[in-house]
Amino acid sequence: MKYLPLLLLALIWEAIVQFGLVSRDLLPSLSDVAKAGWQLAKDGEFWTNGAASLWRGSAGLALAIVIGAVLGILMAWWRGVEAFMGPLVEALYPMPKSALIPVTVLWLGFGDGSKILLIFLGCMLPVTLAAYNGARSCEQHLVWSARSLGASRLRVLLDVVLPSALPELLNGIRSALALSFVLLVSSELIVARKGLGYLIGFLGEGGIYDAMFAVVLVVAFLGFFADRLYQAFTDRVLAWRD
Amino acid sequence: MISVENVSHTYRPARGRDVLALDDISLDIQQREFVALLGPSGCGKSTLLYLIGGFLPVEKGAIRIEGAPVGAPGPDRGIVFQHFALFPWKTVQDNVRYGLQKQRLPREEQEKRAQQYIDMVGLKGFEESYPSHLSGGMKQRAALARTLAVEPKMLLMDEPFGALDAQTRSLMQTELLAIWQRTQKTVIFVTHDVHEAVLLAQRVVVMSARPGKVKALVDVKLDKTDPHIARTPAFGEKVDEIWNLVRDEAIKAQ
Amino acid sequence: MLRLAPWISILALALAWEVFARSGAVTPFMLPRLSTVLERMWADSASGELWQNLGWTMYRSLTGFAIATVLGLALGFAVAFNRVARWLLDPLISVGFPMPKIAFLPIITLWLGFHDLSKISMVVFDAAFPVITATIAATLAVERHLLWSARNLGATERQLLHEVVFPAALPQIMTGLQVALPIALIVCIVAEMKMGGLGLGGAMITASRFADSPGVFAGIVEIALAGYVLVKLMAALRRRLLAWHPEASAPSTV
Repeated sequence: MKYLPLLLLALIWEAIVQFGLVSRDLLPSLSDVAKAGWQLAKDGEFWTNGAASLWRGSAGLALAIVIGAVLGILMAWWRGVEAFMGPLVEALYPMPKSALIPVTVLWLGFGDGSKILLIFLGCMLPVTLAAYNGARSCEQHLVWSARSLGASRLRVLLDVVLPSALPELLNGIRSALALSFVLLVSSELIVARKGLGYLIGFLGEGGIYDAMFAVVLVVAFLGFFADRLYQAFTDRVLAWRD
Repeated sequence: MISVENVSHTYRPARGRDVLALDDISLDIQQREFVALLGPSGCGKSTLLYLIGGFLPVEKGAIRIEGAPVGAPGPDRGIVFQHFALFPWKTVQDNVRYGLQKQRLPREEQEKRAQQYIDMVGLKGFEESYPSHLSGGMKQRAALARTLAVEPKMLLMDEPFGALDAQTRSLMQTELLAIWQRTQKTVIFVTHDVHEAVLLAQRVVVMSARPGKVKALVDVKLDKTDPHIARTPAFGEKVDEIWNLVRDEAIKAQ
Repeated sequence: MLRLAPWISILALALAWEVFARSGAVTPFMLPRLSTVLERMWADSASGELWQNLGWTMYRSLTGFAIATVLGLALGFAVAFNRVARWLLDPLISVGFPMPKIAFLPIITLWLGFHDLSKISMVVFDAAFPVITATIAATLAVERHLLWSARNLGATERQLLHEVVFPAALPQIMTGLQVALPIALIVCIVAEMKMGGLGLGGAMITASRFADSPGVFAGIVEIALAGYVLVKLMAALRRRLLAWHPEASAPSTV
């Protein structure tokens, strides 16, 4: 019910095209787009490209999460690592990650490798920063209590610091998730030979606009649903918070 | 001067059930009186204050000030909140001048009056400070100066010293009494602290637990100008008397 | 927090880069020497090419950012104050926020062509969202007692908006702007890469097509510097505008 305005928007879309208010060349009607989308799904082209995108995105993101989280926690745990890496992280943070697109292509060409590397490099920073902040915000008293109860340094790290850092880390991963979509689509739009982003460009150049619109919407909504699913997952995991 | 006639108030939150905060309250407050509204949490004392101030609409019953029904908030009923509500982006002086700006006084007059009240509350020298640089006690003095500067007919004070530490609170209470004696304003003071109520007020309105009703009206005929009044037996007796009235309500409010 | 002077680690990184590139472990193609890259930047600067590209990228991203700010503030306030606007826009905002809006670039070029208009529009589309959500959250979070105090001191409804709501909401709105600026830059670069031509993004993609490795790396350094400067400028702006704010230092990493 609260998404009713979206339904209204869809109806208005269909109406303005059907009533000729907007040229069909510029804006295919929603029904045309749906039909074209259905056709694509049946053809299989959508699925092969989709699989390529899915593989690239997941691999890159997984690497970013694992390595980023470990790095972030190490930075929080050992002063030496932090003193050195800290300014680096701060300096690299404002750099637009999309600037890495040409260099990953230079290194690994137009295929999966360059995309995975791009997403890994680009998404690692938000995860690292979140893991670092989360670990640092772990209350000193919790750590001291654990030590006085006999926990070794490693155990304290695993049993106290990690769970304390979790909410912030999960939030950082959420940003990384959104960023991974952006980097994936960007690179596939510009420098790819397969993938959903590539498919959008291909259809656009071929003038097959209704199918192009269909894929654009699918990709956009994939990003939306990924975020919603992730939120549902984290709500479950963080149920102990409040 | 202020008459509250059969006032009831219900909170209707967007989610959840309606809550009856005040139940058929009637009260008369004279000019220049210092009245305390005392009761446990949730008894509606702040609600009554907000109704008099015009921040909440009077739906049942009537509140009149000098015969006229109470209207929208305005500088005739100055309010002081527990958490100061100072404008953090303005200096102390600009905060105190705000109400005077609204009254369109000439700039010179604004500054003169603002300085007068800043001095009165003891904040001389801090005119250019921002609230974030002030201690709790100083913030409350600034808030008080800001309200006094518009020279309201009455002061509505919503647990103004609740956020301060015990020592600062004690100092502020003494100063408030001095300011009241000097300016002769009507004061309605909300508190849950019996000691504070007896110290400051001439009359204590003891309210019941939610839904709030007037449980008792207790006169406090003590000499407010005596700096050691809190140590006299009469004071202690008065506190006991009122505490006995409040205790049951406090337990009910748990 | 133990901190080496920040430039020490950058210097170390630069040294490591140069040493690693000279070592022969990787080809000059994979990793040109830092000295080569810096020479290239110097040459581009002298020829004016660097400034031309930088100028175009800054023009597009900052124009888009400015429009996104105005649009975001307007829509944000509308949603915060108007029930109809909230009902209409809330779902659009919450659905649109996590979407990779860059996917709409081909649609925008279909409608608006391959010139600056579509690049700027893409930037606006992407950067407006964080501004809108920050404005809404900030406005709704303004303390009720601040508004009540202002009304109590004589402010009219209209005055409340720009005298109280806006300054009170400013810190959070600024944070939203600090998030939106890097987004504007990222999106602008991607759009330039897609469409080619002038601008840092266009120059980089051209360099990669010609296997011009120093050119690609020069572009990365240039964009990184541009991004760094912009973020620092925003942080400085924040410190000036919010000198009164309790938090002494603002998030310079967002």
